[in-house]
Amino acid sequence: MTMPNLIDFSRNRDTSVEHVDEETLRARCFLRDTLMEAEVEILVKLPDLNITEARGRIVRDERGIEVPLEDLGKAVGVRVGPGMAKILSGLIGEDFPCPQLIFMIEECCHGVILYFTKDELAQAPDDLEGARDFFAQMLRKSIRLYNRCAAFAPGSSITEGIEPPSAD
Amino acid sequence: MLGYQRSKRVSIWMEGAQRLMAHGILDDDIYGLEVRLSVDPSTREIREVAGWWNRWTTPDCPLAVERIDDAVGVRIDEPGMAGRIRKSVGRRGCRHFANIIIECCHSAREALDVLLYEEARKRRPSLSFEEFWKSGAQMPDDGEAGGEGDEREASSEGLKTPGALAVSYEDLDGPFIDIHVHTSPASPCSAAPVEGLIEEAKRIGLDGICLTDHNHVWTQEEVNALRERHGFLVLRGNEITTDQGDMLVFGYYEDVKGIIRLEDLRKEVLAAGGVIIAAHPFRGFLTFGVAKLGLTPEKAGKRPLFQYVDGVEVLNGKVTPQENAFSQKVAALLGYPVTGGSDAHEVGEVGQYATRFGRAITCEEDLVEALRKGEVAPVSFKKIRGF
Repeated sequence: MTMPNLIDFSRNRDTSVEHVDEETLRARCFLRDTLMEAEVEILVKLPDLNITEARGRIVRDERGIEVPLEDLGKAVGVRVGPGMAKILSGLIGEDFPCPQLIFMIEECCHGVILYFTKDELAQAPDDLEGARDFFAQMLRKSIRLYNRCAAFAPGSSITEGIEPPSAD
Repeated sequence: MLGYQRSKRVSIWMEGAQRLMAHGILDDDIYGLEVRLSVDPSTREIREVAGWWNRWTTPDCPLAVERIDDAVGVRIDEPGMAGRIRKSVGRRGCRHFANIIIECCHSAREALDVLLYEEARKRRPSLSFEEFWKSGAQMPDDGEAGGEGDEREASSEGLKTPGALAVSYEDLDGPFIDIHVHTSPASPCSAAPVEGLIEEAKRIGLDGICLTDHNHVWTQEEVNALRERHGFLVLRGNEITTDQGDMLVFGYYEDVKGIIRLEDLRKEVLAAGGVIIAAHPFRGFLTFGVAKLGLTPEKAGKRPLFQYVDGVEVLNGKVTPQENAFSQKVAALLGYPVTGGSDAHEVGEVGQYATRFGRAITCEEDLVEALRKGEVAPVSFKKIRGF
């Protein structure tokens, strides 16, 4: 670079998950970028992972769009899990004037999934062979992982010797 | 104490007049990675992309970096951009790289709006972004990324009374039908042409299949033509996405687009004389199962969806044996009839699982009646036939 390259747009997004009590998780997503600042919070009940509360707040929006924040409540009852993005979008509405807030609810839901995933991954051994075996075993237990990313694709060391999914 | 945290940072700047640069960082409790994109501001196409891992999980995660080139050529504002990147970079490489690349694309779109606004402001210094925006720009659809909770007790009127305990397929003597099959192009996720599916179903000895495409209704004429052409039983069904998950619907032929509340779907299906089967109700997560959440069959049986269905799919070809077994336990506790279906999306998948019926099935009315009365049993069809 031969001249200062000043930033024209920047975005920070932060998502977190914590236990409120033994049966409830709170997931929050904060957005701050050049044009907008907003926050979304959902409560998720264990063990079903159904959303019991969903709310949002727009702190700043340079576009000045009016948003019916109460519509985010339509996410209540949806379970965090496969297909949730489509369900959330469908329920809150394709005409909802701020799709960013719907995306932030999805980010909260993904945070909840990664919260549990972290726990599983913490059990992986430190050594290479042990880690390989650990993830191969994970693949055998959940064969849907097969070919879901490069690490679990045919040809990787993890999939060596594991048959692709087929009839049992 | 926080149990999980993810931070993402995206910076966008112009490098000369010809390149819009995006730098994205994703850092969470599990992964740390960065990407850098170069976008042509006039065509909005991604020209170059590079990525780096800082922290990863499996020994083979580094392989993902080679696959992020799939984003090259994608336009940051093309319809379905996020889905395209998820399917290419996400599936062939890594979903977390796909996540931050999508974040960069959304930010790049907004950055171009900011740049256009700055240009407009040179001509009219008092112009606010809000005025500029409302004069013609559109809210970016970040939502493409991929009722009030009904606490009322459902009325039993019109609802199926839980039927007899599940029977074995060996106790029945009717046909074997794969009642959960997806065809291309009716289901965008399927690669199986209907003709190929039917021929394969015949080859392996099934007695019939039900076409249950996603939110798509086959006409009676189309299905009759298929039956005649192939000399094979082809029946109509539908897989409809509701707020409570996917449902197989038989005997109801309205084209439902978008998401419908299961309670509302139930009213419509009942009025039409149809039935609803909960499809793969416990399809879980890639890296952990429902047991991790402390979900027991007893607790799972209390989910609202079970008030609105006539049966449960307990053998589905796209879930794990553990998830199928869990569905069986819940259905047994509730006393629901249970079914099996391959959920085939490829020709070779048809018949992995099927449903055996306790009566002759020649049309959709027979199928609906048998399902309603619970004269059904799930079966690992290919296994019992030695395939």
